Amino acid sequence: MARIALRRLASAIPVLLIVSLITFGMMRLIPGDPSAVIGGISATQEQLAQIRHELGLDQPMYIQLLKWYAGVLHGDFGRSLLMGQPVMQVTMQRLPVTLALSAYALVLTLLLGLVGGIFAALRQNSWVDQAAMMFSMFGISVPSFFLGLLMIFFFAVYLGWLPTGGYIPLWQDPWGWLRTSTMPAISLALLQVGLLARITRSTMLEVLRQDYIRTARAKGLTRRQVVAKHALANALIPITTVIGIVISLLISGSVVIETLFSLPGIGQLLTQAVLNRDYPMVQGGLLLVTAFLVFVNIVVDVCYALLDPRVRYESH
Amino acid sequence: MRPAGLASFGLIMGLTLAAAPAIAAPFSCPRKGGDFTFGQEANVNSLDMMTSSSISTRNAALNIFETLVTRDENYNVIADLADSVTEAPDHLSYTFKLRPGATFHNGKPLTSADVVASYDRYRRVGLARNILAKVDGWEAPDAATFVIRMKEVQPIFLELLSSFLAPPVIVPAEFKDDSPQQLHAVGTGPWQLAEFMPGSHVRLRRFEGYVPNRNFENRNGFGGYKQACFDTVTFRIVPEPGARVAGLRTGELQGVEDIPTKSVAELKGDKNITLVPMQNWWMQFAWPNLSVPPTDNLAFRKAVQAALDMDEIMDAATDGNYRLNVGLQYPNQPAYTDVGKETYNQHDAALAKKYLMEAGYKGAPVVLLTNKDYGSMYNAALVMAEQLKAVGVNAQLKVVDWPTSTQMGTLGGSDFNYFFTGVGSEIALGSLGIIQDVLAPNNMFHPKDGKDDPGLIAAYADMTQKFSPAERQAGWVRAQKIILEQAYALPFGALTKMQGVRANVQGFTPFRIPRPSNVWFAN
Repeated sequence: MARIALRRLASAIPVLLIVSLITFGMMRLIPGDPSAVIGGISATQEQLAQIRHELGLDQPMYIQLLKWYAGVLHGDFGRSLLMGQPVMQVTMQRLPVTLALSAYALVLTLLLGLVGGIFAALRQNSWVDQAAMMFSMFGISVPSFFLGLLMIFFFAVYLGWLPTGGYIPLWQDPWGWLRTSTMPAISLALLQVGLLARITRSTMLEVLRQDYIRTARAKGLTRRQVVAKHALANALIPITTVIGIVISLLISGSVVIETLFSLPGIGQLLTQAVLNRDYPMVQGGLLLVTAFLVFVNIVVDVCYALLDPRVRYESH
Repeated sequence: MRPAGLASFGLIMGLTLAAAPAIAAPFSCPRKGGDFTFGQEANVNSLDMMTSSSISTRNAALNIFETLVTRDENYNVIADLADSVTEAPDHLSYTFKLRPGATFHNGKPLTSADVVASYDRYRRVGLARNILAKVDGWEAPDAATFVIRMKEVQPIFLELLSSFLAPPVIVPAEFKDDSPQQLHAVGTGPWQLAEFMPGSHVRLRRFEGYVPNRNFENRNGFGGYKQACFDTVTFRIVPEPGARVAGLRTGELQGVEDIPTKSVAELKGDKNITLVPMQNWWMQFAWPNLSVPPTDNLAFRKAVQAALDMDEIMDAATDGNYRLNVGLQYPNQPAYTDVGKETYNQHDAALAKKYLMEAGYKGAPVVLLTNKDYGSMYNAALVMAEQLKAVGVNAQLKVVDWPTSTQMGTLGGSDFNYFFTGVGSEIALGSLGIIQDVLAPNNMFHPKDGKDDPGLIAAYADMTQKFSPAERQAGWVRAQKIILEQAYALPFGALTKMQGVRANVQGFTPFRIPRPSNVWFAN
């Protein structure tokens, strides 16, 4: 198991290197630089040049890259050009907002997607199956942004049950956090619910048709035992991989939802950083988010090995 | 010595008022308490007012910090943290007496040493530190007096100093070495920082130790007699317009900015909401690239001018939320003039074609550089392109994001012929604010062969060096005439910014920043 984790960790290094290089290169290739944003539209050429000099943007690109890598190796991801704060500090302030929202959305996804998919498979072609698949199709088809707006007008404006937006940290006021995060989490989760429900259903159907399931039934096991011990355990192997992808999709999908519901998460931060050409913020923030996603995928790989002995065997 | 500026500046009413004690009873909050939450569109990245010219920073920070001089309701210069301003007879020094009793939010009394330290920091990192280019130095002869010495006479010095774009705010001396964007948010204003969560909100609370400017009776522009009636004020970042409107309707937000036009009719019928239109928020512009053909040709630029129907352009750009406006000043401003009106909103296809023939135009592409980040700029370009095509101009849109567009517009080059943008605050600052956009060195103006128009240079000299307001205005009138006749700029019209508050919010009037001072809840 440790070998699998180490091997995955080693393969993460080139991934992070490539991501950081691409981010650095892309940010320099697209026109526009932060001096125009900081200086404003009326800044003179002289003022813009001065800002560029102060930010070190007038240095050759390879020097900027090497300096940045040297900083990263020392744990210094630079300072946000627009906020003046260390990138690490800003990212660590914003990442928990996105992670908490994504975790909430993941719980909803697992609850609705897994349960819906399992029941749909167990009651294939019944009204339960039809309803679950209709719901999942709805989730896949409706854009999260539009769904969010509909929910704002129905639950906040019309019924007055939930706030229209804003953010309250979980550790400050859990009830307040739940109220402000419920609509964003549902908007974010629904697409993934649809995806997971359909994959779970098809995987379960495939597993339920296997010989070992028939054998288990023939041995006189109850339906619950067959489903829980044999069918679900085997169906979870591919589903776990999908859950890893779902986590990545939830984090990347939070950009739109954070904007709609005014949540100060990492998605909104990085979008603004790109628009403002805040180079250190984009480079450092993306690297940290990538590192987190790589870590999630390593955990998924390890879980995969735990669930499937063949993976452990192959690794030896 | 004589009181500052006074008759010679034409901006003196505020300063004269500042020198005389208020006669009537000053404003007193009819009701105190509550949290006023204002939904604003753009994120606040930093509260360092010295190094940021962003509107979102200004919205919050100019309620925390104060400056020696600022602008009143009509953008005239007034004293603010200065109790009085006196200009030396030789115009080579300005003496500022500080507001008695003023203290910082950390409890420390304001002294001239703090002003010296603030100006030292501003000269080092201030975004608009070039306003101090003609300043020789400053000193603090006593704890309540600050003196600025000039290298040479600069009649417009107080106008420059009172600009609210990125002003030299006064902070405690111990923060003079704060890095750019990292200024401690400790000022002398009626509101002190309670909480700042970038991307989410800025919360201010009433500063109980605030000493108002007793030379006024009420809030006046960025200055005046300010009182904090609410317990707290929260500037919440709500980028999505639909969410802002929803927040206003539910009462979660008591005030919002940038209400989309399509929501205005619906909100008008809501008795719980009062709409507060801010006319003359900004002007839509297209700046021609004078360095490349065919826009280097005056006859071609005149053809474009002749072809345009500004009503159509502004209607599309603002969803009908606009006023047509000749020239480069808002109609209510002292420097407003309609000279050059014959060049505006002509929509004369025959005349446009005549000018095109005169220019020898053979169908070369004319690139309109715009962006989709600001819908008004994109829509203006879209309609202008169609109007130009209708008279035979091969107009092509180049749509990029705003930073790219700004960079391309800034660098000039041969990639575009018209750069679409908008100007708001600079125009509010008066003719001096906008004329700098048509003089090099400037990030948008690229004269042919790098040579400024001599007529404009002469007009600018009058605007900046004459002591008489009439002579300065005459300079501006000449400048606007040249700008419009030479088609150095295409001003389309003025856009109205729609704000809204809950009906129980009293005293909220539109201005260039949302002002929570002297505003209260009726119930």
